Amino acid sequence: MEWLFLIVSFVAVLAAVMMLTRQNAVHSALFLIVNFGCVAFLYLMLDAPFLAMVQVTVYTGAIMVLFLFVIMLLGAETTTDTSGRMRWLGLAAAAVAIALLVIFAFPIASDLLADDKPAPVDARARLRVINAVPGGDGETFTMVEMGRSVPLEGAVALNVALDALDEGQSDRRVDGVVYNDPRPTIRGYSEIAAGSYTVLAGVRAGEYVSAPIFTQELAAAPDSAHTVALYESAAGMIEAALLEDDISAPAVGKMRLSLFNAVTDRLVSLVEVGQYRDLRSLCDDSACNALLPHRVLIERLPVGEQVSIELEEGSYNLALVDDEATVLRALPEYAAERGTVETRVLAREPGIPGSLPSYRASVFNAIAAPAYGSPESVGQVLFIEYVLPVMLVGVLLLVALIGVIVLARPDALAQAERRRVNRRRRVNRPLISVIAQQTGGDVLGGEYVAKLPGGDDEGGSD
Amino acid sequence: MNPIGTEPYVILSMVLFLLGALGVLMRRNAILVFMSVELMLNAANLALVAFAREWGQVDGQVFVFFVMTVAAAEVAVGLALIVNIFRERRSINIDDLQQMRG
Repeated sequence: MEWLFLIVSFVAVLAAVMMLTRQNAVHSALFLIVNFGCVAFLYLMLDAPFLAMVQVTVYTGAIMVLFLFVIMLLGAETTTDTSGRMRWLGLAAAAVAIALLVIFAFPIASDLLADDKPAPVDARARLRVINAVPGGDGETFTMVEMGRSVPLEGAVALNVALDALDEGQSDRRVDGVVYNDPRPTIRGYSEIAAGSYTVLAGVRAGEYVSAPIFTQELAAAPDSAHTVALYESAAGMIEAALLEDDISAPAVGKMRLSLFNAVTDRLVSLVEVGQYRDLRSLCDDSACNALLPHRVLIERLPVGEQVSIELEEGSYNLALVDDEATVLRALPEYAAERGTVETRVLAREPGIPGSLPSYRASVFNAIAAPAYGSPESVGQVLFIEYVLPVMLVGVLLLVALIGVIVLARPDALAQAERRRVNRRRRVNRPLISVIAQQTGGDVLGGEYVAKLPGGDDEGGSD
Repeated sequence: MNPIGTEPYVILSMVLFLLGALGVLMRRNAILVFMSVELMLNAANLALVAFAREWGQVDGQVFVFFVMTVAAAEVAVGLALIVNIFRERRSINIDDLQQMRG
């Protein structure tokens, strides 16, 4: 990567120097195009593909074509710089430029050579909590065990606390990611500062987490996303899993579906079936000799784990099945919308003992953040945060357009000249008539004697 | 992630900006002066994009977008002016354009 940057920047600087030193303006313009192309390449290396595209189309395309057009229209290819005067200005400018470069670049270069670069302070990471415990309730947390509902003492909630590990972050202890939703619902991510944490999950008792049921180190990288999923273990206890989520934008035209299995005693598979015949079973007939034709998307997901797949946009008949081909949960006509990221959590419903267990596949949406520098992200910022500047720039372009049209009228100069002459005439005529009126004589006539008002006519003949 | 930091881009942008400034000061051809101004704008854009990546915000790229728009408008008007000046005076040497000198 470094050598690529060095080569491209060398070509850019070389093209700029060549542009400055060519006598032929067409050659200068062509070298400037090379320079702009290099800058577009650097935009690509800087994660700005949209700007790279705009650079190529607007700068190297439109603007430079305009330049070349004007140069060739005027025949100004070889307008030389031999005016003679101000030759010293070039040398002075070069000296000042080199001095400026040294002054500005020296601190940066010295900083570049130093190794202790601090990390960006504002890097954010995301964390969310998903409760997939059957009958989970934020206020009175109950565990369903053998048909008995065992409320924990008092009004307690399950709490996920973060303990910052880094010394620099010790004052930023985040313990506010409290699970309070009575049912698993759509829950967004909480933003935390990137860094190292200890994630503690436990029953909340006052300010602290007493006897955490789950403790794990979390290295939250910038722009990463994690999920703490709480689920019921086989023994009826609460378990927690720390999952890393992929919230980057899915591939073009696809959606990303993550499946988390919170059903203890089953390996869950996600299959796509062409058409349902029985929402309870994948079996083709009652004897269960043949399965419906299906396509396995996720195979045998154990409890407490998460798998992501990407689906093409469209409608699917999905089913979550266990190893006995029993449909735990059917998702008929599941609509896959492009660009979305969705997490499905399969959990057991707290059912009546003795009845068939039922399952639910709760939806947790995560709006996919568009990739940095993509047209989508630039467009979002442009048209949400910068609407007014966009409008002003539009007005500016309109004004520039009108100005160019006014300037470029073929008879603009001739009209200006005619107007100037007209103005002179218009001024002249009234002046003559005014003088004629005041002096009382024919100004344009031959024998004209000025008669100044208030003056003595006879005095002049002395 | 890109292994190259922000500093090399800023230094390159500085070099390009100073080359553009040199062009503005040294060249007498009005079109070349214009092209040097474009070079300076591009250098500033490069620095903006580099800093945008440094902070992980797209705002810098949006500013570059605005700069490009304004540059396009400026080039259109400026070149129209140059064409008109050339029509009137048969020259685009900026040393010949002294009528507004105070």
